[in-house]
Amino acid sequence: MVQLSLNEIYSETQKALRSLGIDWGIAKDCAVLTRWLALHNQYFLGSILKTADMYKNKKISISIQENNFKKPLSANLMGMLLVEYIAAKKIVWEGFLYNPKFILAAMNIIAIEQKINMELRDKNNKVIAFTNNKKLYADIIQLKTSNGYFFLSLEINNKINKLDKFVTPSAQNTSYVNEKCWNKLKAMAFETYVPESETSISGAGY
Amino acid sequence: MINHIKKSKYIENKIPLRDPSKVMKLERLGSFHQSRLSFSRQLINEIVQNKWIFNISEWNINNDGIGHAVINSICNKNIFSLVIFSHSIQDEERSDRVIAEKWDMTFSLFKGKPSKKEITHMSENLKIQELGRHLPKQLTLSRANKSVRIFEKVLDALSNGRQPDHNLINDIGYLVRTTAVYGNGKFGIGDFSKMQSEHFLRKPFQAEMLTVYLIRYFSIELINFLSKVKGGLKAVKLSEIISKHIGVGNATGLGMAPFLFNHQELLHQWIYAKETALSRVLSLDKISIDKQSDIFNLIEQAYQYSVQWKVSDPIQYNKIKILNSDLQVILKNINTKVILNQSYPLKKLTNFFKDDISIETEEILHSIFLEPFGNIIDDLINNMSVIEKNTVSINFNVKEIIEMIEKNYSWALDIDLKKDEENWFFWYTSQAKLEPRLGIRKKDKGFDKELPFDIPHQIQKGMVILRSLPNDMLGTEAMLNYPELRNIIRRIIINNVSPYSEIQDNLIGFNSKPIDILRCKLSFFGASKYDPKSDLWTRITLFQGAPLPHQLKEKDACNWLFPSLPIYN
Repeated sequence: MVQLSLNEIYSETQKALRSLGIDWGIAKDCAVLTRWLALHNQYFLGSILKTADMYKNKKISISIQENNFKKPLSANLMGMLLVEYIAAKKIVWEGFLYNPKFILAAMNIIAIEQKINMELRDKNNKVIAFTNNKKLYADIIQLKTSNGYFFLSLEINNKINKLDKFVTPSAQNTSYVNEKCWNKLKAMAFETYVPESETSISGAGY
Repeated sequence: MINHIKKSKYIENKIPLRDPSKVMKLERLGSFHQSRLSFSRQLINEIVQNKWIFNISEWNINNDGIGHAVINSICNKNIFSLVIFSHSIQDEERSDRVIAEKWDMTFSLFKGKPSKKEITHMSENLKIQELGRHLPKQLTLSRANKSVRIFEKVLDALSNGRQPDHNLINDIGYLVRTTAVYGNGKFGIGDFSKMQSEHFLRKPFQAEMLTVYLIRYFSIELINFLSKVKGGLKAVKLSEIISKHIGVGNATGLGMAPFLFNHQELLHQWIYAKETALSRVLSLDKISIDKQSDIFNLIEQAYQYSVQWKVSDPIQYNKIKILNSDLQVILKNINTKVILNQSYPLKKLTNFFKDDISIETEEILHSIFLEPFGNIIDDLINNMSVIEKNTVSINFNVKEIIEMIEKNYSWALDIDLKKDEENWFFWYTSQAKLEPRLGIRKKDKGFDKELPFDIPHQIQKGMVILRSLPNDMLGTEAMLNYPELRNIIRRIIINNVSPYSEIQDNLIGFNSKPIDILRCKLSFFGASKYDPKSDLWTRITLFQGAPLPHQLKEKDACNWLFPSLPIYN
């Protein structure tokens, strides 16, 4: 295991996603959500690596128009945009989500920053997460599945919800991850670097 | 005009803030000077106000200057320790390069007092810097080399019972020069966000500033120690006046430039604080005789400072020459003292000289104007940090975003991007240094991995897409359908409420000078004596003129805007 700072997780994730050609804004969103998961002691690294693999093989979608069981919408990449879209349109969205845990991160962040509360329901319409007063209440176990059908909307009525567990940040400012997986992510990030040229060397302090 | 000036409890702003289209140009940002709002000044104010205590708790440095030491800084119940390792290296191994593999000294600012086990860990990892794994209790990571131009000469003088030549001290200004000061989570060190309960870390770059301040203290202690070892009874310590004039050098390049792009809201807060401060002092309808005298004395000090500001770069040399001449004209003009005694003195003084002075002079005058008025501007320091938002405001539709572009990004729309000179450079992260660098598009490989600093290009491309969409489509929907818009729409919406958040020049254009970005950031650090070595990197000095720990109780401990040393010819 290797101990990492949250900023390392953020910056290496963003770079790794850029190595796949993912747009800057989307890579940043995903890095933000990943940092949130790390801060809240949630597993993230395997999800990112798997997402990268599926993105390369076109097995996940980044379009709400195109998502189905075989090609679910990537919550890692599009989670932040999706919650903003639903909040702005004030609609109920339903569809297949890959790695729904990342939606929790987006729900909590928009609740804190824009005071917008949302709720996530499973295919049986059971509330499995909602936000209220900047806190995220969630039954994390229900989100272990990597792919599922969900309903996402503005929060309707939290009083009827039975969820009383809210997800809190870790007291630590570090995260322990599998070193081999971390090195794989770093190797992806390394692909965004460029060998130095004569131009950059000349006059740059050499 | 910025229309959301917060009302100060001290003074009503009558003079509007300068428009971002004037302030956020590279040429002006690259003329900024240190001011009383700068972070090094904030640190010294914090240290003085809260009566910090400093002590050297470990000094295991041998007679060759090799070993380790720990300097504690104590504020209330908090202790921050600078852990220092002093190494033996060959002259030819000493380099300003950021990825040099050996340094004379390596450092880390540690939260609390390190245990023996933690010191052992740091002894193995600090010396290899980026290649090591560091502890979450470490707040910074740094290294420095002795200045080959001065260190041995000063040691020689002191060990022979003499003070070093003032000219030599003034020409260099430091005994050691850092080549990097990393903070906030790099290479496993602690994230600042989790430590913001510590009062002083809430202000920007305070951990880095404390690190540099303690490095300076160590460099002076080290040379006094070594002179005693070498000279025995005949050795003397560096005089008070010279010690105070010794800062810490820093060689800094493109590595720090992206920070200002990546932290739009923070950039806005810094500039907004400074512009608000300027507006407040320009709005003063009269100033006391004492303050008039302070302003005049500061102009004289700035003149002395400019005389002692020596550089080899021809562009900066000419700027300093003009600055020098402008300040002389202002000092000699009989109207200067007359205007200072009139109503709205600082605004009138600005207007009186503005057509005859350079931007460099205009900006140094602004630093001078802020200096005596801590009582009406120092509250702004508390607004120079920000918790940056990760979401994008959901309230705007396509029409409104287009209007924001037309209003705030006309500078970007006006650039003819078909011209070769507007597509000259690209920014990338270098494989060798893992640091941002510049390449030439038509010559160098790798522009497919370009960093997104081509704001005018993104604006113009974004505008084409946005104009093809229905006016009432929500911004979030536009971004969802066109993810390539996400980055630039985020910037546009941030800029709409934080108007000083965007540098209003084409940063990949032939005429763009990255050194201007560095200078802007360094001015907020409180750097002095900018000594550009090209358009891409500069040497600077930090904490020159600042009080040393034993000088903190002196009456004028916090007044060190333009340090100069008496020169005896």
